[in-house]
Amino acid sequence: MLLTLDLNDARPLHEQVAGAIRRAIGEGSYRPGDRLPPARDLAGALGINPNTVLRALRDLRDEGLLEFRRGRGVSVAGRADGRALLVQRTRELLDEARRYGYGRDDLISILEELP
Amino acid sequence: MKPRVIAVGWVLLVGVLLLLSPFAVRDRLPDPMATHWGGSGLPDSAASLTGHVLTSVLIWAVTGGILVAVAAYGRGRIMRMYRACWWGVLFGMGVLLLGVNASTLAANLDVPDWRSALLPGWHIAAALGSAVVAGAVCGYLGRGEPDEPSSGSQAPPRLRLEPGRRTVWIGHVTNPWLVVAGLGSLAVTIAAVMLTVTGPGSGAVLTSLLPVSVIVLVVSLATMSLTVRVGGERVVIGFGPLGWPRRRIPLLKIDSAWSEPLHPGQVGGWGFRGVPGSATIMLRGGECLVVRYRSGGRLAISVDDAEHGASLINALIAERVNP
Repeated sequence: MLLTLDLNDARPLHEQVAGAIRRAIGEGSYRPGDRLPPARDLAGALGINPNTVLRALRDLRDEGLLEFRRGRGVSVAGRADGRALLVQRTRELLDEARRYGYGRDDLISILEELP
Repeated sequence: MKPRVIAVGWVLLVGVLLLLSPFAVRDRLPDPMATHWGGSGLPDSAASLTGHVLTSVLIWAVTGGILVAVAAYGRGRIMRMYRACWWGVLFGMGVLLLGVNASTLAANLDVPDWRSALLPGWHIAAALGSAVVAGAVCGYLGRGEPDEPSSGSQAPPRLRLEPGRRTVWIGHVTNPWLVVAGLGSLAVTIAAVMLTVTGPGSGAVLTSLLPVSVIVLVVSLATMSLTVRVGGERVVIGFGPLGWPRRRIPLLKIDSAWSEPLHPGQVGGWGFRGVPGSATIMLRGGECLVVRYRSGGRLAISVDDAEHGASLINALIAERVNP
């Protein structure tokens, strides 16, 4: 599972972790039914507290993306929620736009120009 | 002729021969007949004719059944080594059982009592030798086309790293069979200890059982699952649910990485295989992460989602070299 965290992101860490996991699943590296690596390993690799990862996993379970099964760990329940994935990609697009000096309104006008 | 027809035909032919040949010479055999011989060629155990036929047919049925099931459900058929072994074992075992059956009947032929049935030493050599020759020849004939070259020669996958972000990869794999083996041996150990402590079991059973179940428990604990972490400066491989023992490989030592499907038949079985420099950590067949060292050796690890892991390793190496 490939996870990317933005070091300058001001959002709460668990939201960022949830976003990273959502993106990894959305990109198709994990299919429904596949098991995720243990939360402890994810936390160890990211260098963060396991409780933060668990909170992110719970958020994703409430979203319907993951399911928790006793004794079988955490597995992918379904396809990533389209809207949540879109919100996340848009947020990343906005970040990238800001790096090039464009603001929110510029992005909206670019979107409106598109057919 | 189709391989499937040959295999099934051979299984049936050997089965019919094992079943019928003793009955064909029934009138010239003692009852019971000698079925096992000690080192000096003297018989040391006997069975009725039916017992002998049942034993040999049962051994063949189990052998043939396992081989057919392996061929039907196994994924190793794409490998030449695997096909050669399969045909070799099928025909070698068949010839061995026929040889053992023929030698048993020959030794028992026209003797008044099973105790006087002597087994000439050359029978054993002939049965083993013909089985080895038949296995080798049939393995050679059944080897089929050479294997496709592995995907290791293709360009290794790359990933684009963005500044100001930290990217890590975690790969995990579990072998459900070893989980079952570990839990089973734990249960057996606990049951043996309980029985000994509460009375009905004897200490002798426990002392003979304990070392085996402890070894099974430790080995299955260490190999039932595995986690690979890529990030920062190194690749870390953690064994077992506790992630210990673990092995760290600094990225500086790695030349490149890629993902390749490998199967236990290709690398010599499950577990830790090969010598340092060409080792494989094989928990299950399928996708493997292969790392090539700068020193020339390579390490393969069976792990899910290996493609992403390999791309991150390559990206991190490239970033180190040209920052």
